[in-house]
Amino acid sequence: MEVDDLALVERAKAGDAESFRALVVRYQRKVFAVAAGIVKDSDLAWDVAQDAFVRAHQHLGDFKGDSSFSTWLLRIATHISIDALRKERTSRKDAIDDVDESALSDGATGILGTALGSNPQESVLRKELVGKMTEALAEIPAAHRTILVLREVEGLSYEELSERLGVPKGTVMSRLFHARKKMQALLSDYAGLSPRPRRSAAQEDVEP
Amino acid sequence: MKDCATYAPWLGARPGELSASEEERLHEHLATCEACQGRLADLQATTGMLEEALSRTASRRDFTTFADEVMTRIPASAWKSDARPRGVFGTLKAFFGRHRAIAIASAIAPALAAAALYLFIDRSGTPETVPPGVEVVSETLAPVVLDTSDGPVVLVSESDGT
Repeated sequence: MEVDDLALVERAKAGDAESFRALVVRYQRKVFAVAAGIVKDSDLAWDVAQDAFVRAHQHLGDFKGDSSFSTWLLRIATHISIDALRKERTSRKDAIDDVDESALSDGATGILGTALGSNPQESVLRKELVGKMTEALAEIPAAHRTILVLREVEGLSYEELSERLGVPKGTVMSRLFHARKKMQALLSDYAGLSPRPRRSAAQEDVEP
Repeated sequence: MKDCATYAPWLGARPGELSASEEERLHEHLATCEACQGRLADLQATTGMLEEALSRTASRRDFTTFADEVMTRIPASAWKSDARPRGVFGTLKAFFGRHRAIAIASAIAPALAAAALYLFIDRSGTPETVPPGVEVVSETLAPVVLDTSDGPVVLVSESDGT
């Protein structure tokens, strides 16, 4: 029977290496996936994921069980991912949060929804687009990558996003809107559905 | 379009993330705005794709060495001695806890050995069938067979057996 996280954490706190190793093995892929989504580079994500576990071990004493261990661990991983991005930040800024008329008029709506059909889970196109998802993610600004991963993979609420990123709830919603819109535009391009020529977003990277 | 700037960002809200008033206003807007209906369809169609994509990315990596690399980055002094079992019994208990197959084998082995010994002794103690016409005059070791006029006679003396 699998030992639960809290029991392993307690043993690891007491200095049991095998228990901590078990936690690493249990969450290594999830932590790596979150890091990879934010920092883009797979090797950097590997380092970030390892840093997350090392830092988690250093602060095990601070873990009181108020949240699940995985939530606590992923919070550490996202902090380190964001720090890693800041080290690579460029001076270029972009209007990543404002939702104005130009943002709304940029591209048609409902294209993906229509193309993927009424049952998107079974769509062949959907499977192809999932394969393009990380490629698209690498093309959008870091702030957008970060918020998308926190929302879609970590599952954070608006309130939690606001707290984690240090921005108001309204900004969270508008930033998510922009991030999704950019991803959808890129996916539409890949699927040959886009009504407009694709613009490279690689140079749009900005700090979160 | 102006209303869309307000309502489009609300489309991705989960249940309970908008106030009742906001939900009602969004619902009213959606009823009349084809653009936002399309945005909502896009959103619903792509839900879950990112998580699936990143899981695939993680699955493609070989994690064989990951845990070892993490553990080597943590100082050995972090693993306190009082977390480890003390004494021979504690050490054995921890060892068998980690290696359950060995523990089970260790438990079964003496029983199997005892059963094998019992069977061996039982069979070796069974006297061989004496051929017809052969008289056994001693049950000690080192039998000697003598041909006599009455037929073969097996003699075993104590001195011969030692």
